[in-house]
Amino acid sequence: MNNSSSSVSVSNVTKKYGDFVAVGDLSFEVKTGSVYGILGPNGAGKTTTLRMINDILMPDSGEIRLLGDLRPGMEAAQRIGYLPEERGLYPKMKVTETLVFFGELRGLGRKQARKQAGLWLERLKIQDWHDNKVQDLSKGMQQKVQFAAALIHDPELLILDEPWSGLDPINAEVLKDIVLAQKDAGKTVLFSTHLMDQAEEICDSVCIMARGKLALEGKLADLKRDAASEGVVQLAFASDEEQKRALATVLASEMVKIRTTSNAMVEVQLQDGHESGELLAELVKERLQLRRFEHRSPSLHEIFVNTVGQLAGTEVAEREESRGART
Amino acid sequence: MINKQALVVARREFLERVRTKWFAIVTILGPIGMIAAIVIPVYLALQSAEEGFHVQLVDKSGRDIGSQMNIELDARGVKFKMESVASDTSREVLEKRIADEEIDGYLEIPSDVLSGGTVWYRGDNTANPMVTKGLARIVDYAVFRTRGKDLGLGEVAIATLFVGTEFKTEQTTGDGGSASGTASFIVGYAVMFLLYMSIILYATAVLRSVILEKNNRVVEIIVSSIKPMPLMLGKVVGVGCVGLFQLLLWGVMAGLIITFREEVLGLFGLPGAGQFELPALGIGAIAVIIAYFLMGFFFYAALYAAIGAMVNSEQEAQQAQAPVMLLLMIPVLCVQIVAGDPRGGVAELLTMIPFSSPILMPMRYVLGAASVGEILISLAILAVSLIGAIYVAAKVYRVGILSYGKKPSLSEVWRWIRS
Repeated sequence: MNNSSSSVSVSNVTKKYGDFVAVGDLSFEVKTGSVYGILGPNGAGKTTTLRMINDILMPDSGEIRLLGDLRPGMEAAQRIGYLPEERGLYPKMKVTETLVFFGELRGLGRKQARKQAGLWLERLKIQDWHDNKVQDLSKGMQQKVQFAAALIHDPELLILDEPWSGLDPINAEVLKDIVLAQKDAGKTVLFSTHLMDQAEEICDSVCIMARGKLALEGKLADLKRDAASEGVVQLAFASDEEQKRALATVLASEMVKIRTTSNAMVEVQLQDGHESGELLAELVKERLQLRRFEHRSPSLHEIFVNTVGQLAGTEVAEREESRGART
Repeated sequence: MINKQALVVARREFLERVRTKWFAIVTILGPIGMIAAIVIPVYLALQSAEEGFHVQLVDKSGRDIGSQMNIELDARGVKFKMESVASDTSREVLEKRIADEEIDGYLEIPSDVLSGGTVWYRGDNTANPMVTKGLARIVDYAVFRTRGKDLGLGEVAIATLFVGTEFKTEQTTGDGGSASGTASFIVGYAVMFLLYMSIILYATAVLRSVILEKNNRVVEIIVSSIKPMPLMLGKVVGVGCVGLFQLLLWGVMAGLIITFREEVLGLFGLPGAGQFELPALGIGAIAVIIAYFLMGFFFYAALYAAIGAMVNSEQEAQQAQAPVMLLLMIPVLCVQIVAGDPRGGVAELLTMIPFSSPILMPMRYVLGAASVGEILISLAILAVSLIGAIYVAAKVYRVGILSYGKKPSLSEVWRWIRS
């Protein structure tokens, strides 16, 4: 499993807090050069997983391998950039000093750290603030400094925990650009989120976690294809009359269930045991004039809701309430 | 790499603190305090020498003890005189005069003073050694003189009888080395006081630094970048160096102020009173003092770091640091024991225990009561304890750091240390 083409390899990892299983028998792999999202509701074990990868927590069992064959630890940390969900800076430190400090902690020399700090401040357009104390910056600018602090040592692997939490739309865009730039440079990005729209825009692969367990994993494109074959079909007819006729005949059968109807389109869900081919055959048999017959790709959001809903259902909500959404 | 990271942390802690205005203010307050410590006593001494006390004398013996006392006061160059009042002056009248601040107090000589009656002084200044010791001796002389006269001795005989003997002390343990007893105590107390003050001022800063990081939420990035051991080491050394830097600045200033003592006094229009001599210390003593100072300071700083790792706010820290404060108070309270019997078993024990050895051992050494072997053993114990304290702090930090929100129980802390 530990081949050189994967930057993160998590195998059968379990982490318990007392009797509570935060992460149970989790396995997944992040290919080098890809953008990988860990999705899941609050309390699913995402942060615990990322903390184990960053050597902040120790797994009770299982193995984590990073960047080839490294265990989580200081050697790996020199090549990893980490932006935790709980992120802060030293308020009384100047911006450049802050960046140099984090750069040095992650293995850069002082000079190199200074140079990198300058480059990042310019890139994020906050170079005019380099000599100000962090506490004098707006929240948005502080977030940019946090991005730069995570990236100053040019990490091969960038780990972001709920990166969009607290970001304004401008910084959300900045972050997206950073992630895509990392990917273009051949770097790997691993992040967690419960925001499906953002994840859908940038992810190559995702895994969905619920109750500490892996619910679904794969390339985003594959997942969408698989989910699509489960059968939402969009239909459009030549005229309103044709649509009415269809609704009264074929679409009224127990083969499908109507999801939505508008005057231009009908969306149906194929029922268990029926294939889209059967539906098409029936429509043709009725000589209905079709303009469109298409498997619709579900959004990541739908895949997520379906998966988590099936697996965890109400339990997630109950547990979240009782635990106050920490992990 | 670990050392490099510890240095990066130490450098940050050092610079962040040294650059604050509080550091500048406290650094400047130091010499102001020192100047005050030199000027005020001289000024007060001058004041009281000029004014003296105003003491009235009620002599019920009828033997004119007052004029005998004044002869003695004169002989000693003391400016104030006893003012005799009528022997039937009532206490109420005299107390009223004290209340009205006309006099400081009054001396009551009983009628049987020559045969052992008790002399009373009543006044508002009985804590002053000039009153408690000085007046008592002068009354003694006056009574002795009067008795001498009654025995038929001449003035010459009386004067010869009461020539005082000079009495001096020298601290020695029989190995030839010697220092003046007073000087030893001064050094001992000075070291103890300095260490105590630095711990209070700066070891607690390590604690605040740890708490601050938790409250800033910067901790998670830190913990993922650096192992707790070099982090704690960096903090203890960084903040510690702030304290040492300040002490160094103060030391230089104190040196200058003592050297130019007369000029400083001159600025305030006061005469320079004699030569101020620092007790001479050998290289060995200085090395021992510095070694214990550094190790003791870092040891307590590490203990404070561990407390910082356990708690989430300064309020919680207030309570949690009480046990460490107690550990620090115990040796301070035991100073008299070590000073009084530096070679006794208790002193030996106290100078081996890491909590008390940094405070008590320099004093014991300066008193000549500790062998080089004992120093080495005690330093080794202290060094091991220091590393142990940093280790414990790192362990507690590692586990405690992400558990913000709830205060750990003692058994949990114990589990963290063992894990």
